[in-house]
Amino acid sequence: MPVDPLLEQLLQGFVDESQEICERVTRDLLELEKGAKPKAAAGRAFENLLRGLHTLKGSAATLGLDELADVAHLLEDVVAPLRASDRLPTPIADALLRSLDAWMSRLRATALDQPLPDLAPTSELLRATRTLASTPAQAWPDRAPVTTAAPEASKASPPSPVAAAAPASATRAGDIHITEDPGDATWRVSTRQVTALRHDVERLREVRLRLEERQRELEKGLVQLARIGHELRATSGSGGRPQLPPQTAETRSVLGSVNRGLSSDIEEASDIVASLEDGLKAISTQPMRTVLEPLRRAVRDLARQSGKLVGLSVVGGEVSHDRRVLEALRSPLVHLVRNAVDHGIETPEVREGLGKHAEGALVVRVEQQGNMLFIEVADDGNGIDLDKVRGAALQRGLYGAEELATLTAPQLQQLIFSPGFTTRAEVSEVSGRGVGLDIVRNEIQALSGQVEVQSAAGQGTRFILSLPVELGSSPVLVVRCGEHQLGIPTMAVESSRSARGNDVNRGKPQLRYAWREELIPLHDLGALLGLRQAELPRDDQPLFIISAQGRRLALAVDEVLGERELVIRPLPPEVRDLPAYQGAATLARGELVLIVRSDWLASNELQARIAAKVPAPRALVVDDSLTARAMHRTSLESGGLIVHTARSGHKALEQLRHASYDVLVADVRMDDLDGYALTREVRARPETAQLPILLVSTQEGEAERRRSLEAGADAFLSKRDCAAGRLLSEVRALIAARLQRTRSSTRHPG
Amino acid sequence: MIDPAEKPAADDELRQLLDRRADRVRARPQAEGDESLLWYAEFPLGDQRYALPLAQLRAAVPLRAVTPVPLSAPHVIGILRFQGQIISALSLSALLGGGGWHEDPAVLLVVDGGLGRLVALDCEQIPKPLGIPAHLIEAAMADGLRTLTPLQLPGLPRLELIDLQLLLASPPHEAPHAG
Repeated sequence: MPVDPLLEQLLQGFVDESQEICERVTRDLLELEKGAKPKAAAGRAFENLLRGLHTLKGSAATLGLDELADVAHLLEDVVAPLRASDRLPTPIADALLRSLDAWMSRLRATALDQPLPDLAPTSELLRATRTLASTPAQAWPDRAPVTTAAPEASKASPPSPVAAAAPASATRAGDIHITEDPGDATWRVSTRQVTALRHDVERLREVRLRLEERQRELEKGLVQLARIGHELRATSGSGGRPQLPPQTAETRSVLGSVNRGLSSDIEEASDIVASLEDGLKAISTQPMRTVLEPLRRAVRDLARQSGKLVGLSVVGGEVSHDRRVLEALRSPLVHLVRNAVDHGIETPEVREGLGKHAEGALVVRVEQQGNMLFIEVADDGNGIDLDKVRGAALQRGLYGAEELATLTAPQLQQLIFSPGFTTRAEVSEVSGRGVGLDIVRNEIQALSGQVEVQSAAGQGTRFILSLPVELGSSPVLVVRCGEHQLGIPTMAVESSRSARGNDVNRGKPQLRYAWREELIPLHDLGALLGLRQAELPRDDQPLFIISAQGRRLALAVDEVLGERELVIRPLPPEVRDLPAYQGAATLARGELVLIVRSDWLASNELQARIAAKVPAPRALVVDDSLTARAMHRTSLESGGLIVHTARSGHKALEQLRHASYDVLVADVRMDDLDGYALTREVRARPETAQLPILLVSTQEGEAERRRSLEAGADAFLSKRDCAAGRLLSEVRALIAARLQRTRSSTRHPG
Repeated sequence: MIDPAEKPAADDELRQLLDRRADRVRARPQAEGDESLLWYAEFPLGDQRYALPLAQLRAAVPLRAVTPVPLSAPHVIGILRFQGQIISALSLSALLGGGGWHEDPAVLLVVDGGLGRLVALDCEQIPKPLGIPAHLIEAAMADGLRTLTPLQLPGLPRLELIDLQLLLASPPHEAPHAG
């Protein structure tokens, strides 16, 4: 049979998956044949057996392997009547095992594009066995063989159990396949090894960062040596070249050479780290579409088979996730999609009669929010018929009539996940055996996830799978707001543009942006995160149109640093509950970037917070110490001030250019521009000349205070005083004094 | 050979010798207890000296490459990568109630806060190892577990022993900040 090119790459995966299922099924068959299990345990083994066969059938049908799907259906037919038994007769077990061998042989031949073994004898064998299985247990022969021709495929197969026939490439739980050459050799590597490798790459990246740090120190030493040379030249008066003692000059030359070598090594280390990361990502993640795309074929075939028109839309297929998670999702998604077509969506005639479009809509939407992956399978069919659910539950003895009458609609909807539950009176090729949704639930629970169902009569059904994810990469737009780099999921970005004054509406209570004949809220991302004061976007400032939770908003940032494919990792427990972030990702140079949650930007909570914002005095805290910034902020915010921070004097000056503050709190000791120089710069600018300035320092004493006041500061505090609670009172006093001065000058102008 | 006439005296001497030995043996457990040391990492923060069990200290790294987390709690300085993990950097001063500091913290202590949960705490200097006699620790903690247990060692300033599990289990409840 010619293999569809689209499905070719999926076939090998299906061989491995089927092999695994056949191994499980074989184990159950042999246990049941022994008949040593109590009745309840035997019942569970039969259920497992049926689930395995049902999955084989569904997956084969999804890939268009109809003959294999038919045989799997016959296998189910044989096992289904035996559910209530406590053992499996040997002739039936024989027939099932031989049929499974034939099934796998056919599948492997299909995958390898080899001549296909004929499945007709297998089907004949199974039909004969089905008759036997349907007879009362007393009539079963003990060891007599089922009289039919042995299937050729079975003859061709080794007589060993399926488990023994596992090919070398069979996947074990927790393994990752690394394909060396498509269709050629593969390696099997445990996920533990890949995880360990990932940690080593992280460490290598840290080593590279440390090397960069060492190089910076080395460069400082070289600069120092150069300065000494210049000083010596100046004092000796010899024109021309710097005069370093010969040994020192030689040392400088050696250090210069080491520095150049180090630069080159760092560059190479960066390339190696980047390459390793790319390789690891390729090994451990896959785009969701590899699981979602094959559903199109399944929906098409199933719709044709049932005389329905169904359009499948897939949203979010580009998001990449851990291969293991994707593999585990394959089967539940097949079940849900088949379920939607078979049970949910009506025939074109019925739909038109109901005023719906003849073609039913089936949507599979994937979205990652924080550390959770959400997959929604929604149809616009007839919804779950609660009367039928009640009837089936009553028939299966799950609840009594009185109990059923007290169950709410959501409780009734949950019953569809019960083992063996079906509302179908007849068994079709697709469903009706009651095997399916319980598998979905079990498989999602095995991934520590959950399944929810929402249904409205006549309007449709929505299944929502939610599961935690540890590893995944997504396209992220990296932007800068002040001194902070932040990531925004590209999926949420509808458009990007430059701000133009004409498009900004300065209405109350907030700015709005004219976008496609609509006025949408306009926010500054830095202001939303409390980093700075909101301001009118300047001309040409980058803006993004974000779409989330059915809302659109425009978001202003300072700079767009580019789009990156980033692995978003969970935040540590201390900050994991913050609704603003999905997680964090590591950029190429090793720095972490926070990924902002798009639904938070559009959330009611945030909009309400913006609307409720009351004016308060604003303070700008400048300190190169993260701890000091955090402590000063805490202290001032406890007094009701709005606090923004800057990590250097230069950043503070930039911030003062764009926003106004009521007080400036600056550290004295900072690199580049210290507190004294900053104070002098601020005083020199007309617009900030009157700004109250409080200088703080870890140094104490009168000399430090005097120097601060001489530089133009209004007050001075030691950091010990700040932590002792004096910062807030001092800042309040400065703001009050300024207010007093302003009032006086208003009363007595000139 | 002892002269029989001298035997009582010899017996007395022997008895006294044995008594002295017995006294020494009886005293040994106390002496051994004195020598049993528990190792702590000791460091200054403001005017106070603190110590945490050395076994819980994984690394002391420079306070660099920390990404601030806007809107987080005030005691959260930010996040950083440590050996492949993303961990939080917390202000020890804020966790301890803001007692002030002499130097801007330049060091992060990566500690195991229990069950393998790593966090980084800022401090002013790289800690020094300090062996403290076990019986002194036991005596100091006799009143039960506390976040800080004061301990006075002979000839040294008072030390506050930090119980990391308790410290991290009850961070201060303050308004979030913007990094």
